[in-house]
Amino acid sequence: MTSFSRKPHFGGLHEIQRSGGLASEGVSSGNGNWTAFAGAAVLALVHCGFHWNQDRLILQNWKTRAPARPATCGAGIVLEKRYSGPTSKSILRTIQMSRITIIWSMSASACLTLAGINFLFWCRNRKTWANLLFSLTATSTAAFAFCELCMMLADTPAEFVTVLKWGHVAVWLLVVSLVWFVWLYLKAGRLWLAWTACGLRTLALLLNFLTGQNLNYRAITHLAHIRLLGESVAIPEGVPNPWMLVGQLSLVAWLIFTADASVTAWRRGDRHPALTVGGSIVFFALVSSIQSLFVFWGIVRAPISASLFFTGMVAVMGYELGGEMLRASQLDRKLRESEAGLHEIEERMRLAVEAADFGVLIRDFTRNEMWASDRWRALFGFSETERLELQQVLQRIHPEDRDALDLVLERARSGYGVYDTTFRAVLPSGEVRWVAARGRVEFDGAGKPAFARSVSQDITRQKKAEEETRNLRRDITHLDRVSMMGQLASALAHEINQPLGAILRNAEAAELFLQDASPDLEEIRAILADIRKDNQRAGNVIDRMRALLKRQNLDKRPVDVGELVGEVVALVRSEAVSRHIKLEVTVAEPLPPACGDVVHLQQVLLNLIVNGMDALDEVDPGDRRVGVAASLDGPQTIEIAVSDSGHGIPADKLTRIFDPFFTTKASGLGMGLAISRTIIEAHNGRLWAENRNEGGASFRFTLPIAEKDAAK
Amino acid sequence: MNETIPIVHVVDDDASFLTAISRLLRANGFSVKTYLSAQEFLTQRDADAPGCVLADLRMPQMDGLDLQSALAQTRNPLPILFLTGHGDIPSAVRAMHGGAEDFLEKRAPKERLLDAVKRALARDAGERGARERQRELRARFDTLTERELEVLSHVVRGRLNKQIAGDLNIHERTVKLHRTAITTKLKVQSVAELIRLTQEAGIFPEPVRTFPKGQ
Repeated sequence: MTSFSRKPHFGGLHEIQRSGGLASEGVSSGNGNWTAFAGAAVLALVHCGFHWNQDRLILQNWKTRAPARPATCGAGIVLEKRYSGPTSKSILRTIQMSRITIIWSMSASACLTLAGINFLFWCRNRKTWANLLFSLTATSTAAFAFCELCMMLADTPAEFVTVLKWGHVAVWLLVVSLVWFVWLYLKAGRLWLAWTACGLRTLALLLNFLTGQNLNYRAITHLAHIRLLGESVAIPEGVPNPWMLVGQLSLVAWLIFTADASVTAWRRGDRHPALTVGGSIVFFALVSSIQSLFVFWGIVRAPISASLFFTGMVAVMGYELGGEMLRASQLDRKLRESEAGLHEIEERMRLAVEAADFGVLIRDFTRNEMWASDRWRALFGFSETERLELQQVLQRIHPEDRDALDLVLERARSGYGVYDTTFRAVLPSGEVRWVAARGRVEFDGAGKPAFARSVSQDITRQKKAEEETRNLRRDITHLDRVSMMGQLASALAHEINQPLGAILRNAEAAELFLQDASPDLEEIRAILADIRKDNQRAGNVIDRMRALLKRQNLDKRPVDVGELVGEVVALVRSEAVSRHIKLEVTVAEPLPPACGDVVHLQQVLLNLIVNGMDALDEVDPGDRRVGVAASLDGPQTIEIAVSDSGHGIPADKLTRIFDPFFTTKASGLGMGLAISRTIIEAHNGRLWAENRNEGGASFRFTLPIAEKDAAK
Repeated sequence: MNETIPIVHVVDDDASFLTAISRLLRANGFSVKTYLSAQEFLTQRDADAPGCVLADLRMPQMDGLDLQSALAQTRNPLPILFLTGHGDIPSAVRAMHGGAEDFLEKRAPKERLLDAVKRALARDAGERGARERQRELRARFDTLTERELEVLSHVVRGRLNKQIAGDLNIHERTVKLHRTAITTKLKVQSVAELIRLTQEAGIFPEPVRTFPKGQ
């Protein structure tokens, strides 16, 4: 049912008539341009691109308003009334839109588009008040543009007055929204200036409705027509309203506020927004104000076209805000990406924590609450849903470790901040676990503990391995002593047989004496005393051996160095005698007690002396000497040296001799010196070897002096 | 000759054992002298007295084996018995090679100890008798002149008087005179006895041997 017809028209213009389709029952009203404007505003953006060249756009208007003055439309607007058919009641009217309509509509539609976008943006994110204010600014600009268009096309002064009067509402909204937009966007400006501008504008709006026909005119006598862009537009003529000054004053206040805010922002360093937003507002507002000033006071005969300037302003601001929105969306994307990254990191952390078998515990001191990871709960024997109470958690700590742990935690809470400790946990099943815990306490502003975060790890296996190693070391040390005893076995047997032989011979003699008729009791008494003495002697040897053969852990006590050396020398004296070795012992007097374990130190000394004696096998019997010397080495250390008169140690072996299984002897494990060094290091001492200038080697070790309190 | 009671010399660096063993030996009727070291014994002992030595094998400076060899160099090499706290085979072998009477542990049974001491003393007495007889024989031979000894050397080789006279370029009768002097001085009845005595004195395998004078 749609038919198009083309026919020549004046000015060589074409009109496209479209009938049917869109036609419907019209609503009669006095503002036909309103709907033309609305329709154009919506479509202009879409159509302008390809209709611009055609110079005009013909729309079918379903509104039924007949043109009052077809003649005055001139070349701009051709209104044609045609009936679609004899039976049709609808009136088809075509309006040929002019450049003015297009320009104003487009500027308005651009403003509305920006308003819509910013309004939606604000809807999504209610905190962006600047976008809402800008949306209001753009909407009011569009509204004012519409008012201007209506005024230009007004038929009667009354129509003009009404439009202008309502146009002031748009101006009010424009000014107020822009003031607060600047305030928000530049975060600058004097508040009193802002309120002054808004107040004056509101006053102007009130005066607009209360005085004269509107704020600008007491009365408009008639409408004059001038030509603009080849069209005839209406301009008012009448008596200006002096109250108009209030409105212009408000514009001045607004300009000052904006300029001031821009300068402040500029000085602060926000040069770009100060220049674009502040600068554009000041520039366009100034220009539009001056233009309207001249028009309203009747100095210049021109239509009011402030909305175009405002549109320019809106465009600049829109550009600025668009950039903001773009940045916001980029930021949002980055945030999403970084959130994804954060999630990834969190996952990795979780994996690491799980892989390391860490249990995490967080304690909130202010709320007195505890949170623990599943691993932590498993470690301490809590179920995954069980509520954690401090008292219950403390119950899981081994009673012997509770006090020590309390001390460590108290120290961390009282300001030290961190702790790193190990303790035993006792599970409800009775199982005991070794736990290593490391934590950090965070303090609030007042220095009170706020949070404690800690990671705990099950180190039971590690502890067991440590204990096994310790036992193994103890066993090896013991084996070394046993093997050393083996080497000394012959000498020790001699040492014991000596008193035993004496006892036997004494006893036999006593028996014979008793067979006498008158036994010499004095002699027999002497024999018994000797037997007792020799028994003691044999017992001492056995005690010394037993002490050395005992399997025991390091038990540090104050040790008399003279006694220590004496005991060991007694053990090896017999061996030395049989090997024609002279033992020379020099212990400096007085010597404070050393701190150590007698048995282990005897082992070291025995080892060094036996080594020294072994080094003398190839030396002439007359020159075989082993010296043991003990002396003070500084205020805190005792040094014991075992020297021999052998051939010394080859330089290339001087460091290797302490390596396990390194031996120069035909029969020997090569563990003696390695074990000796371990023992001395466990005493916080040092053991080393050197060759003496006068020939032979010297093994030296240091021991710390026992604390005075411990010595008591 | 000096017929005194034999003495048991005990050498040990262990004073306690020294006392104990000397008590036991004395209780068994021995005469005992004790020394704390080998040097002490060597310097203090009666050089010719009979007896035996009981020495600890293991002693500082000079041990039992050293003592054994030192003692062997003297003209009164007393038999030596070794005592040891804990016997080791190499020492025992060395000791026995050196002519030790016995090798005993310090805790050896009393009977073994006493037997060993008695045996050592008996051996000493025997050796001492042999040494005494030899000394007496040598004294007899010492009375012979150079010429008589020369003649004797020919006689023990079984030469006839005529041959000896020829060898020595002397008269046969002179040979006879020397032979009569020899038999008289050596108090022998026959040539067979002369030869046995000469062998016993061990004179001619080592003709240059000199005998100690005196005592």
